[in-house]
Amino acid sequence: MIDLKSTPHSLVENFDLVKGILSTYGPDKLHALRLKAFDNFVEFGLPTTKDEEFKYLSLRALTEGQFAHAYGATIDRYQVEQTKVGSIEAITVTFVNGEYAPELSSAHALPKGVFVGSLRDGFTVYEDKIMAHLGEVANLKGKLGSTNDERFVYLNTAYLSDGAFVYLPRGVSLEEPIHLLFLSTADHGPLVSHPRNLIVLEENSDAKILESYLGMDGIYFTNSVTEVVLGPSAMLEHTKFQDENLDSIHIANCSIHQAEDSIYTSNNISFGARITRNDVNVWLDGEHTETWLNGASVGLGEQAIDNHTRIDHAKPNCNSFEVYKSILGDRALGVFNGKIFVYEDAQKTDAKQTNKAILLSPHATINTKPQLEIFADDVKCTHGATVGQLREDALFYLQSRGVPKKEAQGLLVYAFAAEVLEKITISSVRDVLEKALFDKLKESQELPEQSEA
Amino acid sequence: MLEITNLHARVEDKEILKGINLTVNPGETHAIMGPNGSGKSTLASVIAGKSGYEVTEGSVVLNGQDLLELEPDERAAAGVFLAFQYPVEIPGVTNTYFLRAALNNIRKNRGEPELSMTEFMKHIKSKVQMMEMDNSLLSRSVNEGFSGGEKKRNEIFQMAVLEPVLAVLDETDSGLDIDALKTVANGVNALKSPDRATIVVTHYQRLLNYIVPDFVHVLMGGQIVRSGGKELALELEAKGYGFIEEELAAKA
Repeated sequence: MIDLKSTPHSLVENFDLVKGILSTYGPDKLHALRLKAFDNFVEFGLPTTKDEEFKYLSLRALTEGQFAHAYGATIDRYQVEQTKVGSIEAITVTFVNGEYAPELSSAHALPKGVFVGSLRDGFTVYEDKIMAHLGEVANLKGKLGSTNDERFVYLNTAYLSDGAFVYLPRGVSLEEPIHLLFLSTADHGPLVSHPRNLIVLEENSDAKILESYLGMDGIYFTNSVTEVVLGPSAMLEHTKFQDENLDSIHIANCSIHQAEDSIYTSNNISFGARITRNDVNVWLDGEHTETWLNGASVGLGEQAIDNHTRIDHAKPNCNSFEVYKSILGDRALGVFNGKIFVYEDAQKTDAKQTNKAILLSPHATINTKPQLEIFADDVKCTHGATVGQLREDALFYLQSRGVPKKEAQGLLVYAFAAEVLEKITISSVRDVLEKALFDKLKESQELPEQSEA
Repeated sequence: MLEITNLHARVEDKEILKGINLTVNPGETHAIMGPNGSGKSTLASVIAGKSGYEVTEGSVVLNGQDLLELEPDERAAAGVFLAFQYPVEIPGVTNTYFLRAALNNIRKNRGEPELSMTEFMKHIKSKVQMMEMDNSLLSRSVNEGFSGGEKKRNEIFQMAVLEPVLAVLDETDSGLDIDALKTVANGVNALKSPDRATIVVTHYQRLLNYIVPDFVHVLMGGQIVRSGGKELALELEAKGYGFIEEELAAKA
């Protein structure tokens, strides 16, 4: 680790400059959380590849860089519409460099008690509810695992300023999708922002959320934390689309707490950023829950994409299904670490994990590590990892119908990731992401030109 | 039109085809029958260009073009179509996208203009009806989650869309109930014309009640051991393949 007590770093130095203003956002209790998190961050330092949880991902661009604390910037509606996700019809909450941008957000009539907006605005209505959950989900206190690492959550909490807050009271089913849109632009030197999101779905409520991260200009570091609380029988389809610019660093922690009978689906799509690190941590804290973790990453050029997931099966009779796929070309690096902990009480757990990668170039790398730790005896846990080439039988089938080999290969690479996108049930989001996948693959040196559907 | 001469092929070290000779003229339907392991499916795969088969001798020529020199997609462009015994599932690629890509490549090779999405949809509409296919199958991934019958229907549907010069049906009847069998046969018969030909590879005579062959060939031990008219299929159905084996043994 890099010792921040002896090594000067902007991520430490920024704090003195902004803690005064941060203290004015939210209740005093929140500021106490910030101060404690900052101490923890300084105490535990920044990870290097010597740290188990960051073994394959070099963060030198971060540790050797200087990042100023980000303030909002002006982006107009037209620019937003020009982005890949700008035309999606949804209840939209937009942030620019981590600051809420009401002029780029959409006002909607919402059912009684529902809140979709910024965290800071949320404090005026739901302070108690926010403070009951904030910081309580994104932590590994008392959880299994000898290499648990919360450093980027400390960093995010230390600088906690704003982010999205979604609240659905009991029994509300929200038909219209929610879009949490995070835009970054750093045309005056490298910036860092720390979006902090909280999604609370009370008993029997149901929502579909798209969380997107897009970058415009410059070098920047996004360090986001999203906490999700699902009450009994609540249902959430949560799609994250990361398409930051290729000079950026994106580190995101998404932590989920599931009560009994709840269903959580995560579709985690990463196409952008120079360095990506996703941590998706699901805590199953009630019986008969269902969890679907779907992931698709495409890395080209010098991109590095590291997906760490962990599912804590703490209660009996829960099912989890996980499929993560990566397409890596050029000199790109992929990492997958899938932890499944089955606690002593969690009998009748059914957990299935799959990780698949396609390497388009001999210089692309994937490091894949399933990590199952099982302390109950009556469970069904399977895992599988494949790194490979395209399916020969499918290739021949396409060719035998007249599709040339190069084009058939391109089609199969697309299909490999598109299979994950098909899990998204909001058709407008699925269409946009399919198009984004198509465009992303066009940047590959190794794949041929495809005609569009 | 199709001229197969002294074709020998092997998989790894095992010789499977041991000198096949077969001439198919335009407008004709040929049935290739034979017991399991006789080399029927190998013959179909070699014509279509599946990898894993090594041709050690002989030639396969379609309208003057040496098929063995061509990639599978070039063979498709030359007019070959193989209806698979086990159609492949391709999650993530929709039927429509796939078929339009295939058709447009074939058209490009023939020097015809590509079809727009609208023109393409018009082209396939009647074929969908003919094959009694559910429209929703079009927007689904290729063969994914299709029942056995739907997969076979989809094969013949693709054939109807691509309009090949030479269609090779590899055990298309396996796993079909009688209604599906009739639909599949209707699709094949609808495509019959004086300038196209069909090779039906099958173990049983059943399909030949609906797709009536002009010639029946019996493949055994990697060679065509007997050829005849459609009555040969009925004789095989009645007597089994054993009687040919006995006759061959008697001759030897």
